[in-house]
Amino acid sequence: MSNDHLYDSAPWTQFYDTAQNAIKGSAQAQEHRFPSIPAMLVAAANNFGPNTAFTTCMPNGMNGQLTYQQADELSDAFAIYLRETLSLKKGTRVAVQMPNCLALPVAIFGILKAGCVLVNVNPLYTRREMEHQFNDAGAQALVIMDMFADKLEDILHNTPIKHVVITSVSQWFSPVVRSVLNAVLTYWNKAIPKHSLNATLLSHAIQTGKTIQAEQGIDVASYWQDLTREDTALLQYTGGTTGVSKGAELIHGNLLSNLEQVDSVVGSHIETGKECVLTALPIYHIFAFTVNLLAFYNKGAHNVLVPSPRPIQNCQRAFDNYPISWISGVNTLFNALLNEEWFTVYPPKSMKVAMAGGTALHKSVADRWRSVVGSPIAEGYGLTESSPVICFNPIGHERANSIGIPAPSTEVRIVDEQGVTVPLGEPGEIIARGPQIMKGYWNNSEETAKALKDGWLYTGDIGTMSEDGHFHIVDRKKDMILVSGFNVYPNEVEDSIARLPQVQESAVIGVPDEQTGEAVHAYVVLREQGLTAQDIIQHCKTELASYKAPKKVVFWDELPKTPVGKVLRKEVRATVLSNQAAAKQQ
Amino acid sequence: MLSPLEESLLSIMMVIIMFGMGASLTFKDFKLSMRHPQAIGVGFSSQYLLMPFIAFALARLLNLTVEQTVGLVLMGCMPGGTTSNIFAYFSRSLLSLSIMMTICSTLAGFILVPLWMEFYTQGIDDAFRIPPDQIARLLFVLLIPTLLGMWLRRKNANIGAVIELMGGVLGAVVIVFLVVTWAPRNWRLLMETSWQVYAAVILLGLVGFLFGYLFSRILKLNPQKARTVSLETGIQNGPLAALIVIMTFSGETQQLILLIPVMYSLFIVLNSTWVTVLYRKWTKQEELARDQAKVEPS
Repeated sequence: MSNDHLYDSAPWTQFYDTAQNAIKGSAQAQEHRFPSIPAMLVAAANNFGPNTAFTTCMPNGMNGQLTYQQADELSDAFAIYLRETLSLKKGTRVAVQMPNCLALPVAIFGILKAGCVLVNVNPLYTRREMEHQFNDAGAQALVIMDMFADKLEDILHNTPIKHVVITSVSQWFSPVVRSVLNAVLTYWNKAIPKHSLNATLLSHAIQTGKTIQAEQGIDVASYWQDLTREDTALLQYTGGTTGVSKGAELIHGNLLSNLEQVDSVVGSHIETGKECVLTALPIYHIFAFTVNLLAFYNKGAHNVLVPSPRPIQNCQRAFDNYPISWISGVNTLFNALLNEEWFTVYPPKSMKVAMAGGTALHKSVADRWRSVVGSPIAEGYGLTESSPVICFNPIGHERANSIGIPAPSTEVRIVDEQGVTVPLGEPGEIIARGPQIMKGYWNNSEETAKALKDGWLYTGDIGTMSEDGHFHIVDRKKDMILVSGFNVYPNEVEDSIARLPQVQESAVIGVPDEQTGEAVHAYVVLREQGLTAQDIIQHCKTELASYKAPKKVVFWDELPKTPVGKVLRKEVRATVLSNQAAAKQQ
Repeated sequence: MLSPLEESLLSIMMVIIMFGMGASLTFKDFKLSMRHPQAIGVGFSSQYLLMPFIAFALARLLNLTVEQTVGLVLMGCMPGGTTSNIFAYFSRSLLSLSIMMTICSTLAGFILVPLWMEFYTQGIDDAFRIPPDQIARLLFVLLIPTLLGMWLRRKNANIGAVIELMGGVLGAVVIVFLVVTWAPRNWRLLMETSWQVYAAVILLGLVGFLFGYLFSRILKLNPQKARTVSLETGIQNGPLAALIVIMTFSGETQQLILLIPVMYSLFIVLNSTWVTVLYRKWTKQEELARDQAKVEPS
């Protein structure tokens, strides 16, 4: 029986404020009537020209800065280089592979202004992953950080990339600082490998662009003026956790809509032109891309970029030297900050709101953040495929362990295996529909058909809805374990194990079992010794129904994780299964 | 020992190094180090209770001569010097705490050094005291450049970071310089010195590191602070001891006593170097572990 009415009545709208209600009524605010992202970028540069737009802050405090005007001019010149010198066309895919640094926004903005399609690439990717992504996206040009040049060199001949532009983390730092920093990175950290790539320096590309602009009087707007909200802006690769990586095709309208949705949530807390946002999450990740890079640029904020937040000490100088008022992060990042004395004793006084996403924000972390920093921490929910925000917690009214309510003009339902809506409070797959949902997976109609049905994005997350329209995540659908016909959600078991103080973290997976179909196995990392497998099983049996308790507990030194700190259960499972197979063969 | 020119050159370099060290600090760092005054207390007691006793015990165990005993106990009673700050910096310990401890122990040494010498070497000589201008000198070398470095860093993070790096490089150069110039010049001394003296000067530093660490851990300081105290305890102000000996004694006695501070200064640089490498590794491991750890239930 269908329960569509439960969800279609959108009980969550009672929590909308004026800004959110306005979007729901599709009355687009003036500042969001952009036909494309470049239009937004140019408007921001016009509004905030002399303000500092970006600062890269190194662990020792060394820094370089760009104003809005500089970011605008440099990215204009880069767009000209792409179009005139490299003769790229509208819609050509251009990849960017670098950690947070000044060159990153310039390259991204330049690519979008050239009317090209941006492809964000994770800098930590292996050669094989890079090769797959460049080929899948059909990238013709790449802007890469010198640190990864050796990886690229090995695979470049297997990719469609014709042009390589190279840059460094110290790009646009003052000359003395730049040479010192490069010397340290090259000789002390040995982070910059030797290579013999045929690559153009980013600074050279931009100089070329400037010269052409001066000689031919090119109006960069001509490249992007005919872009519409329906044009593709970004291929954002995803699927590190679901198998082969595929590119979510996000159009300008997806990202601009999400920008507006994000703005309706945070906008009333933002003083235009006065905020300072810390970007410790990598911008190649959709969360930082949309929220930190685009949404805060639109608001004239000063964006402090940290190239690598690990160890977390690397962020200390950023907090010392800049009045950070916003921060986005994942649970592990907030957790790490709260473990530092310099942070907890002198929490940033300027901090207004922390935005959490990526993985579930633990209640203990959220509570401690509020008591230490004294300002709200609000959890949101989303996927790469949804640009990313689907749900958010209204700031100041956050609910623990809840991903909050759907963003304005977003519909959310919870459905069963057959795609039929489930009764209130029952778990099922979360599906969402709205202007931020991707067009599809790039060149992959098979996967697109699985993920998008009638405009609904099937998230693969199991969740529940409360009576007043707040959503809760139970687990990932594919991680669900079926024990003798009963559903076991690994999160629930992991949470229970985590309540043992000696446990640092754990991964719970299902392993094929002759008697029960699947059996619950827990792989546990201890923070201190003195706990046996039996202790953990016993503990779970006292907290959970006994079929949920792990049948087997194994202690590991560490768990495989994604760059943003999500535990990769899939890899744990693969390792365990291959070990089992090997054992059977012997 | 060093020629006067080299000595003044060294002092100037020390000033530049501390300028660089200062540039790595903020006022918050000092406030953080003062938040646990017990750390300074622990460091203070390990420096002025443990070390003199360790020195005295070693002298007895190794059957040192009267002159060597005086030299070793004097070494044990010395406050920390700027060298300990440099090693604290390189080992990624708490530089701010190390500097606070050096300042406190140097000021207190004014009274405590003569007192302890009187206690442990009764009747040998009654004229041990730290010349006041030496204290002023140390404070000058330590405080002024540190404060200047801190101020500059606050003004301009880029300049601060560059100065910090320069100070660090210079620090390493000075350490290498000390070892490289010392050994060839004093090889004859090295040949003639008895094994007991070798054992005494090497052990004084090592036992100091070990006891300083254990003592702090027993008194519940966290590992990073314990490492700071450990370095501060083991590394004594060798040049200051040599100076006191030169001003207090003369003739053959002076040369016999002087052997100890001179030998100590060489070996402490060598020992501190590898202890620093070890501590640095630990600090990094802890940073990564904290990164992973979950929030303590509060």
